[in-house]
Amino acid sequence: MTKRIRKAAVLGSGVMGSGIACHLANIGVDVLLLDIIPNNLSDDEKKQPKSRNKIADQALLASIKSKPAPLYDSAFAKRIKTGNFEDDFSKISDCDWVIEVVVERLDIKKEIFAKVDTFRKSGSLITSNTSGIPIHLMSEGRSEDFKKHFCGTHFFNPPRYLRLLEVIPTQDTLPEVIDFFMHYGDHYLGKTTVLCKDTPAFIGNRIGVFAMAKVFQLTSKYNLRIEEVDALTGPVIGRPKTGTFRLGDLVGHDTSGNVIRGLKANCANDEQVSSFEVPPYLDFLLENKFLGNKSGQGFYKKTNEKDEKGKPVILALNLNSLTYEPSIRPDIPSLKAAKQMDDLPRRIRHFFDAQDNGAALIKESLVSLFSYASNRIPEIADSFFRIDDAIRAGFAWELGPFEYWDIIGLEKGVQLIKESGEKVPSWVTEMLSAGFTSFYSKQDGKKLYYDQMLKAYQPIPGQDSLVILDNYRSKSTVHKTSETILHDIGEGVLCLEFTSPHNSIGEGVLMGIQESIQLAEDGGWKGLVIGNQATNFSVGANLMMIGMLAYQQDYDQLNMAVNAFQQTTMRCRYSAIPVVAATQGYVFGGGCEILMHCDASVVSAESYIGLVEAGIGLIPGGGGTKEYALRASDLFFEGDVQIPTLIEKFKAIALASVATSAYEGFKYGSLIKGRDEVVLNKDRAIAYAQQKVLQLARNYTQPILRDDITVLGRTGLAPLYLAANELKLGHFASEHDIKIAQKIAYVLCGGDLSGTQQVSEQYLLDVEREAFLSLCGEQKTQERIQYMLQNNKPLRN
Amino acid sequence: MEAYIIKAYRSAVGKAKKGSFKNFRSDDIAVKVIEHLMAQVPELDPHIVDDVIVGCANPEGEQGFQIGRQISLRALGIPVPGVTVNRYCASGLESISMAVAKIRAGMGHIFIAGGAESMSQIPMTGYKLAPNYDVANQTPNYLTGMGITAEAVAKKYGISREDADTFSVNSHQKAAKAIQEGKFKDEIVPIEVTDVSVRNNKRVETTALVSIDEGVRPDTTLASLAALKPVFDTKGIITAGNASQTSDGAAFVLVASEEMVKLFNWQPIARMVSCSVGGVDPLYMGMGPCAAIPKALKSAGLSLSDIDLVELNEAFAAQALAVIKEGCLNPESVNVNGGAVALGHPLGCTGAKLTTQVINELGRQNKKYGMVTACVGGGQGIAGIYEKL
Repeated sequence: MTKRIRKAAVLGSGVMGSGIACHLANIGVDVLLLDIIPNNLSDDEKKQPKSRNKIADQALLASIKSKPAPLYDSAFAKRIKTGNFEDDFSKISDCDWVIEVVVERLDIKKEIFAKVDTFRKSGSLITSNTSGIPIHLMSEGRSEDFKKHFCGTHFFNPPRYLRLLEVIPTQDTLPEVIDFFMHYGDHYLGKTTVLCKDTPAFIGNRIGVFAMAKVFQLTSKYNLRIEEVDALTGPVIGRPKTGTFRLGDLVGHDTSGNVIRGLKANCANDEQVSSFEVPPYLDFLLENKFLGNKSGQGFYKKTNEKDEKGKPVILALNLNSLTYEPSIRPDIPSLKAAKQMDDLPRRIRHFFDAQDNGAALIKESLVSLFSYASNRIPEIADSFFRIDDAIRAGFAWELGPFEYWDIIGLEKGVQLIKESGEKVPSWVTEMLSAGFTSFYSKQDGKKLYYDQMLKAYQPIPGQDSLVILDNYRSKSTVHKTSETILHDIGEGVLCLEFTSPHNSIGEGVLMGIQESIQLAEDGGWKGLVIGNQATNFSVGANLMMIGMLAYQQDYDQLNMAVNAFQQTTMRCRYSAIPVVAATQGYVFGGGCEILMHCDASVVSAESYIGLVEAGIGLIPGGGGTKEYALRASDLFFEGDVQIPTLIEKFKAIALASVATSAYEGFKYGSLIKGRDEVVLNKDRAIAYAQQKVLQLARNYTQPILRDDITVLGRTGLAPLYLAANELKLGHFASEHDIKIAQKIAYVLCGGDLSGTQQVSEQYLLDVEREAFLSLCGEQKTQERIQYMLQNNKPLRN
Repeated sequence: MEAYIIKAYRSAVGKAKKGSFKNFRSDDIAVKVIEHLMAQVPELDPHIVDDVIVGCANPEGEQGFQIGRQISLRALGIPVPGVTVNRYCASGLESISMAVAKIRAGMGHIFIAGGAESMSQIPMTGYKLAPNYDVANQTPNYLTGMGITAEAVAKKYGISREDADTFSVNSHQKAAKAIQEGKFKDEIVPIEVTDVSVRNNKRVETTALVSIDEGVRPDTTLASLAALKPVFDTKGIITAGNASQTSDGAAFVLVASEEMVKLFNWQPIARMVSCSVGGVDPLYMGMGPCAAIPKALKSAGLSLSDIDLVELNEAFAAQALAVIKEGCLNPESVNVNGGAVALGHPLGCTGAKLTTQVINELGRQNKKYGMVTACVGGGQGIAGIYEKL
C-alpha cells in the first residue's frame, strides 16, 4: 500500500496524546492535536479560540517542557496545531491518520469514533491508543470503510523514547493497513513494531505487568527490602536501573494498580492469575495517594535533608511496617558476586546456582515468567519471539523471557517449571522431545526462531533489510583485534564493531580502525562501516590509559598515544575507501571525533553526541578541536566578521555540550547537513550505513589534505579569552574550567598568530596535541580523570 | 559667552526588538525630533545652525556612515554639518556639554545636541567583537560585560536582591504615575511609524503614532520580579527585571549663545552650569557617578544639598542603589518620575533624554538645580548640572 502520512490528527492531549503528537512532529508529520473545551469558561471566554483550546494548548506546552524532551528539536513544535473537539473536528477531513488517545472509557471512545466517521476522508487510517479496551468493540457501528482502516496502535510512555509500538488489528482491518503500520512503525516512527492480537493488555503489558506483579509477591515471600529487589532486578539481570519498585514510582501506582486489576478481571483463566493480586502495601500507597514520583512519594520518598556528600536523603518504604526508613545499601552475597561478572548470561546462570533469598527471587520470578509467557502462545501471539521483541522494546530489558530461558537451557527451564508446580505448555514439551535445545538459533547471519506450527527453525521475518551484528558472531570474522571485530556484512562492505567495555576507545580500537581500513583498501572492499549495536556507540577514549600516563607524567608515551589517536581519526577521512559511521546512544569524546572524521554518518535519532572532554579537564585531542576549527573556517564567507561563528564552535567544546538528539547534533556542529543522515530506527543504522558506503563507493576518491583552514589568531583569541573571563566572574566556570577553555580557544584560533592566516590540518593537530598534553600535566585535570574513573561522573574543581 | 538651552524634545522610548521602533531607524527618529524642535522656532533659519552633535554608543551598521552627518543633512540641510560623539551611555549628555563648551569658548552660536540609539538594530557589542589581545590576556576586567560589573558593585556595596527588586518596582510605579499624569506629554515628539510586514502570508501596512514610553509595566510586583533568574552570575542578583531595558529613541536640545538669545528674543529654559566626567575601575563601572558628581559640583560651586532633582540613569537598580548608598546622591531627589528600569535606556540618547526630563520637572516643581548623571561602560561616570531659568 503506497500510503503517506502527511497530516495526522491526535484526539486527546493527555500525557500520551501530547507525547504522540510530539513524536509525529519529530518525524516530520503535520499534527492536529484536539481536546475538549474547558467546561468552566465564562461567557466572554467562550468566544475566544484561545480559551476554547486551552486544554490542548496547556497539555502540549507541559509536554514540550517535560524532561526528557519529547521533541528532537524544540523547533519541531511548530508542526503541531491545537484545537478543540467542537470547533476543529472537521479539520480531520484532510488527515491521513487519526489517532484516538482520549480517556479509557468505551462509551466516550465510541462517541469520538462516530464523529470521526462523519468527518474523515475515506481511505484515511484510524487507530486507538488504548491500552486496555478491546479494539474490536470500538469500531462497532462504524461504516465499512472505517472498519477496514481501523486498528489499535499502542505507544508506550514516553512515546519518543520507549521503542515499542503494538499494532492490533481487528478481523475487519485490511491486510494492507496492517502491513502499512508494521512498516511505518519501523521505518518512520523508528519503533520495534510488534503485531499483536486483540487480547487483554496486548503483549507488552500482559507479560511485563505479570513480571512486575510476580516480583511484588516474591518480595514479601522472601522478606526482602525494596532497595534490595531494585538492585536485584536492575542492570545486573539486564533490566533498567529503576528495577521494579522505582519503576512503579515512575509509572504511577494508580496506573499500575489499574492495569493489574484489569488483568486480574480479564484474565481469570490464566493459570497464574493469583499473581495479579494487589499486594497490601500497594493498597497502602493507593489509599494514601502516594502515587509515586508524580505525587512526591511512593515506594521511595525524597527528603529535603542532605547526607554528608550533599545528596538528598532518600527514604524507602518498609513493606512490613509500612513506614519510611532510610534506604540501605543492599548486602546480598549473590548480588555482590554477580556484580563482578561482565557477562550477562553468566550472571543469570550464577543466580540460578546461588543459594540466598535474592537469588531465589530472581530464579523464581524468571521460572514463573517462562511458564506464564510460554502458555500465552498462541493466545496473545502466534510466535514467542514477538513476546521477546515487545518486552525488550517496551520495558527496555536486554533479554525477553525466552532469551533468558535459552541462557539456562530449554530442558532445565522445563524441569524448573515442573518443580515449581507451574504448567509447561504442550508446544514446549513437544519441542523438547523432538530434540530441540533452544528457542533461538543462528544461521548465515540470520536469527532463527522455533516455529511451533512447522516444528522447525525459521528465520525471524523482517531481517532481510537489517544488518544484525549478533547474527554474524557464528561466522568467521574478517579480522580481529583485542577490542574490535571486523565483519563482512555483505555487498563488499565491512563493518568494524568495537568490543571494549562501553565501546571505549583504546589501543585495540585504534589498531582495529587502522588495520580495517588498510585491509579494505588492499582487499578490494568497497568500504567500511564503523558501527555497533550496543546501547552506546562509544563513551569516548579509554580514560584509564590516559589517566595512568598523565599520572606518571610519561609525556613521550602520552604524545605517542594522542598522535596515534589523531592519525587514526584522520585515516577515517584520508583513505582510498569510503568510511561511514553508524551511531546510537552516547557518541562522546573520541566517539564523536571518529564520527566527525568519517566521510559520512548514519546517526540514529536517539544519538547523544558531544565533545565532552572539558568535563574531565581535557580538550578533544583526537582531532576534534582541529575539526571544529576546520568547520568554523568552512562557514566563514566573504565579508563575514567570523567571530560569532568562532564563539559558537568554542562554546560547544568549552561547555562540553551534548546534543540530546541527532537533530541537535546539527546545531552544535558535530553533524553537517547533507553529509550526515538521521535514521529513526536505530536497528537500521548499520544497514543504512552499508547503503551509504555503496553510494559513496561509486566514484570515491581520497580527499586531499587540507591546508586552507582560516584561523583568526589573536583576533579570535581576545574575544574568547574575554568570554572565558566572563564565565569565571559569573561563577559559570571554575579557574580550571577557564584554563581548559583558554586551551580550546588557542587551538581553535591556530595559536597566538598576529593575524588571520590559512593553516594545514597537521599544524592544528600539533597545536591540539600540545594543548592536550599540557593539560595532562595539570593536577586538577588528573583529579578530574581519577574522579570520573571512580565515580563515573564529572568533578567540578 | 554663556550658552542657554532654548528647547528640549525627545521621542517616546520604544522597547528594543519588540517595540514600535524595532524597524524604525534611529537616524529617522532623530530627524523627526529635530524637525519638531525646529518647528517650534520658525524664526531660526536652519542653515545658521553651526553643528549637530549626535551621541551614539554603537555608531555602526544602521547607525554607521557617521550618523551625525546623516542626521544633519536630512533634518537641516546640506550646509549644516554633523558629528558623532561616543562616550557610551553618557554620549547624549556629552554632546550637550560639547555644544555648551564651544559656545562658551566662542566657537559657535547655535548647536543642536543630543543623541540617538537603536538597540533593536545594533547588537550591544557591535557586530565584530574584537578586543585587544593584550588587554584580554592581562586585564580582561577592562572589558567585562555590563551585567558582571553590576554584580561586582552589588557584592562590594552590599546591595541585596530584594533591595534591587524593590527599587525596580518603585521605578515602574513612579514612571506609570508620571505617564498617567501626562508629565512627559509635552516633551515627547509623536512619531508616525509605518510598518510594512508579512502577516499570514500577506503584506500588511500599518501606521501608528508613537507617543508613549513603552517599557513601563505598572503591574510589576516584588513577587513577579523575585521569580526571575539571575542572568550574568549563577550566584548573582541581577535579573532582566532589575536592570535597565534595552530601548530605541532620540532626544535633542537647541543650545544657543547669549547673543542669539537676545537676537531672537528667546526665553531659555535652562543653562548647563557644569558637566564633568571621571574614571573608575571598569569592573565597578556602576560607581562612575561618584567620580563625576563631586567634580561637577565643585566646578559649579554648589554642594549636593543645592541639587533639587536628579535624573540618575538606572543602568542597573543595584548600581543606582550603590551610588545612593555611598552618599553620592540624596535619595529623595533621585528619579521622581521613575528611571531606566521602567522607562528604558537607549544608550547614546539617554543623557539628552534625561536632560529633557529634568529641565521639565524643575519647571513643574519650580526648583532651581537639577542634575543628570550616569555610569559609563569601561569605567566612567558623568554628571551634568542644570539651572532652571
